[in-house]
Amino acid sequence: MKLHISNSTNRDATIVATSLPDNDKTIPSKDGKPVVFKRYVAAGEGKLHEKLADDFGEKLTDKLISEDIEIDFEIVGREIEETTTVLLTKDNQPLYCAPEILEVIYGPDGKEIERRVPVEVAPNVNEELPIKWTGKLIPRNDLIRKFAIKRTLQLRHVDGVTFDFLFAIAEELDEKDSVMLLASGEGGKAPLVLQSNGSPYRGFLEGRVEGESFLLLLHLSAMELKKPISKSEKGDD
Amino acid sequence: MAKTINLTYGADSAVFTYKPIDRSIIYGKRKRIALDAEGNECAKASLLADGSLLIRSGMTAQGYFTPDNKWVPQSDLEALNLDGTTPELHPSTIGENVSAEKISASEALSMRFTTTYSLDVEQLPDGLKKELDSGAIFKFPFNPRADYRMETGILISNENGYFAVIGQLVQYELSSLTSVVSVSEEVADDSSDDLDFEMF
Repeated sequence: MKLHISNSTNRDATIVATSLPDNDKTIPSKDGKPVVFKRYVAAGEGKLHEKLADDFGEKLTDKLISEDIEIDFEIVGREIEETTTVLLTKDNQPLYCAPEILEVIYGPDGKEIERRVPVEVAPNVNEELPIKWTGKLIPRNDLIRKFAIKRTLQLRHVDGVTFDFLFAIAEELDEKDSVMLLASGEGGKAPLVLQSNGSPYRGFLEGRVEGESFLLLLHLSAMELKKPISKSEKGDD
Repeated sequence: MAKTINLTYGADSAVFTYKPIDRSIIYGKRKRIALDAEGNECAKASLLADGSLLIRSGMTAQGYFTPDNKWVPQSDLEALNLDGTTPELHPSTIGENVSAEKISASEALSMRFTTTYSLDVEQLPDGLKKELDSGAIFKFPFNPRADYRMETGILISNENGYFAVIGQLVQYELSSLTSVVSVSEEVADDSSDDLDFEMF
């Protein structure tokens, strides 16, 4: 992923952000041989309980025992590979026209607050305006204790000029044992959005230097570390 | 009986109950729905690639199968490392005493985080409490169930209480002048529809 980022003196550059691959994964197996995960058809059309109960009423139990009416032998067990998502109407018929899309907002208690036309959110980390330093330095200790980090990207250079650019940033931050809060957008205050309609994150830039090498990490957080509001605090009966 | 995280630090022993927290619990969430022409919410289904079957909710099952198509129950699954060797099975640490170790903020930030827990104190000696409340950070081994991968927990305290963030330690490769990365697009893996984030 490319990032357009500036430093403390508003010099900017386009660099690369990478995620560290997870190489510690294990493979599920049985008796020393790998097993594979599969999805398959478990019930045919009209064979789910609700439909069978409608069709057979009180005779359903006897029918299930004597005739295996719930099994469609033609398709049960068929492996499911590629599929296309289809929308169904209230009557369970495929929708042939474009649907209206609404965004439903739920509060922390799970209750619906509002319905609205969705707002499209554009990515803002590799645009004409670079990601900026807000000037808000946060000690490393405070970052780990106050914010839940969802994801971390390592910022890497693409040539010698960007190496010097990023090394200087890492050195500046390492000396202060602090991270810098970053922001994006026109006013330089918006959270970072990595992809279209992606989650907005607060970005915290951390630097470490060892000799002639550096490590520059962008920690992304979407949540402060705090307790959920309890029902008694909300005043619910 | 509530599940607990039991930690020992020197002569001190602490016990916490825990529950997971995420954005939706703290701030709420948003979800996009599709409506048909009459304003009713649509349900999702899947059409097989050959168009022969429309799969509705409740019509599918899934599982693990051997190369000769025999189903393997979840409880019978084993594991292999990527190099074909057999990994060590780690027991669950829930309710078991594990050692906590004080670490630096840099070490705590060298992790790939997966889960966040809010902690309630069952037992917290004064010595350990004082350390936590003064900003000390501790790490401990964490395994919610017996499996092949022990995770690391980070125990912290702030003005809102005590928390444990769980993840895997990461070994970063430092960048040197010769370690140039080629510019290629990497697909971000998060596409959730959360609320706009308001922290400040």
